[in-house]
Amino acid sequence: MSAPSPVTPGRDTIVLGIETSCDETAAACVRGGTDVLSSVVSSQVDLHARYGGVVPEIASRAHNELIIPVTARALVEAGVEGSRVDVVAATTGPGLIGALLVGVSAAKALALTWGVPFVAVNHLEAHLYASFLEDPELRLPMVVLLVSGGHTMLVSMEDHGRYRLLGQTLDDAAGEAFDKVARFLGLGYPGGPAIDHHALSGDPEAIPFPRSMIDDGLDFSFSGLKTAVVNHVRKHPEVSTEDVAASFQAAVVDVLVAKSRRAAAETGAVALALGGGVAANSLLRERFLDACTDDDLHGFLPSRAMCTDNAAMIASAGWYVLGREGASGLDHGASPNLRLRTTI
Amino acid sequence: MLILGIESATAQVGCAIGGHEGVLASAHSSKHRRHAENLTPAIEFICEQARIDLSEIGLVAVDVGPGLFTGLRVGIASAKAVAFALRVPMIGVSSLDLLAFPVRFSPRLIVAAIDARRGEVYFAFYRQVPGGVQRISDHAVGTPDDLASELLATGEEALLVGDGAHRYREAFEGQARVEIVDQGSSHPSAASLVQLAHAQALREEFAQIDEIAPIYLRRPDAEINWITRDSA
Ligand SMILES: [Zn+2]
Repeated sequence: MSAPSPVTPGRDTIVLGIETSCDETAAACVRGGTDVLSSVVSSQVDLHARYGGVVPEIASRAHNELIIPVTARALVEAGVEGSRVDVVAATTGPGLIGALLVGVSAAKALALTWGVPFVAVNHLEAHLYASFLEDPELRLPMVVLLVSGGHTMLVSMEDHGRYRLLGQTLDDAAGEAFDKVARFLGLGYPGGPAIDHHALSGDPEAIPFPRSMIDDGLDFSFSGLKTAVVNHVRKHPEVSTEDVAASFQAAVVDVLVAKSRRAAAETGAVALALGGGVAANSLLRERFLDACTDDDLHGFLPSRAMCTDNAAMIASAGWYVLGREGASGLDHGASPNLRLRTTI
Repeated sequence: MLILGIESATAQVGCAIGGHEGVLASAHSSKHRRHAENLTPAIEFICEQARIDLSEIGLVAVDVGPGLFTGLRVGIASAKAVAFALRVPMIGVSSLDLLAFPVRFSPRLIVAAIDARRGEVYFAFYRQVPGGVQRISDHAVGTPDDLASELLATGEEALLVGDGAHRYREAFEGQARVEIVDQGSSHPSAASLVQLAHAQALREEFAQIDEIAPIYLRRPDAEINWITRDSA
């Protein structure tokens, strides 16, 4: 067997990306870092719904069943023969260890068999790259608000591979707060879309929930807000669920938008982008764009498909990482607590 | 036909290459549970040692458990990926069958037992037949005491093999008719996997990639809790 020759990623380089960090099994083919040839996502949300959250063992079992069919479909939809893949990239963290290992193992074995480089991708970095897939005109420095069930962070992207963590949640992730409040209100799982939907017919000013730490730094805290919702509903059992959902959502969005604007101002960013599953929230999208217009920033909202977990963003990030740092070893494992590698 | 065998159902991870000439190269490691880290480089290593290009492989065999879930999935996901990339068929072999195979020359009742953690073992019973062993029970999961009383009930002399037999040796050692095979053969071997797969390949008992599934024997905890809550 010949060792894979070093690849300098070019415009024709096709990266197969694989993502299995949580409850989506995903594979995608991306050419030249930004040209999405296919992006297949198989969501397990129905498998986890009755438990009100992602069950790691159930997720791992599903990934193990789906990884090859999903990969096969991504190749077919892209019209790419497996042997024409130039690079295989996979999420190696952060995420659920057993879930990550399925994708990493399959990706390394594919790379070895095809004789092409393997690239380990940080899931958080990939979310930052999701914006470039849809808006190649984005200019740096840019601030990205990354909000999902697992993460809430403000990142300054100064250059490719140069990130500064400006703030993050001190307790619950924003998406987690949505899930917990939705469960408490009996609105089902996942909580984000359920709250979003019920908030449409509620009054966002009905209940003045706290805007935790809104004037205080760039870190976030959502557990106090969740407690405030629980206490209010216990004290006023007759309250309209729609009003609670709308008022809760308004409180979360106020804090997210206020801190994003401040982060952009403090870092001199020219662009402000959203990423992560919570970026699908309709109020957040509306208020985020308004803020960008007011502050004269290039605002970017990813499509729903690109803000939730997908493998196109993994393939895209893999293309950039390969050019910057070269291939990863085949002895690479998974890192459930991987952090974004930041400067300063 | 050249066969790549991958097994990772226990604390050990291993791979082997072979065919009608027997096993040409194999590698195993069992420390620190670095299954995902070690497996791909090990496949690369045995190919180099046997001077075989992976593209020459015509069949991928894999240990489908029962065993430790995460390790098992590392092996199965890797094996399926190789088979998919090469467009070749697969063969799945049970971890307990792999344990019983090397002790096939004993006329005694053979019992393979893998440590299932949580105070339990995965086990199955085997008997010698010409050219190998035959499983004479289903795969089961139970406490070492469950297995010990099943053994006692047979009234037969028995040979116990596997890391489950070692971990819970005190449960079995009281029985005069039971002997435990030494530590050296207490993990399924990738070499046995290649041998067993070769025999199956001669009978053309191939599987497609989507037919290969792990033998779990246990539901996920959350599912068990859900069912108990539902019936309560
Ligand atoms: Zn994500």
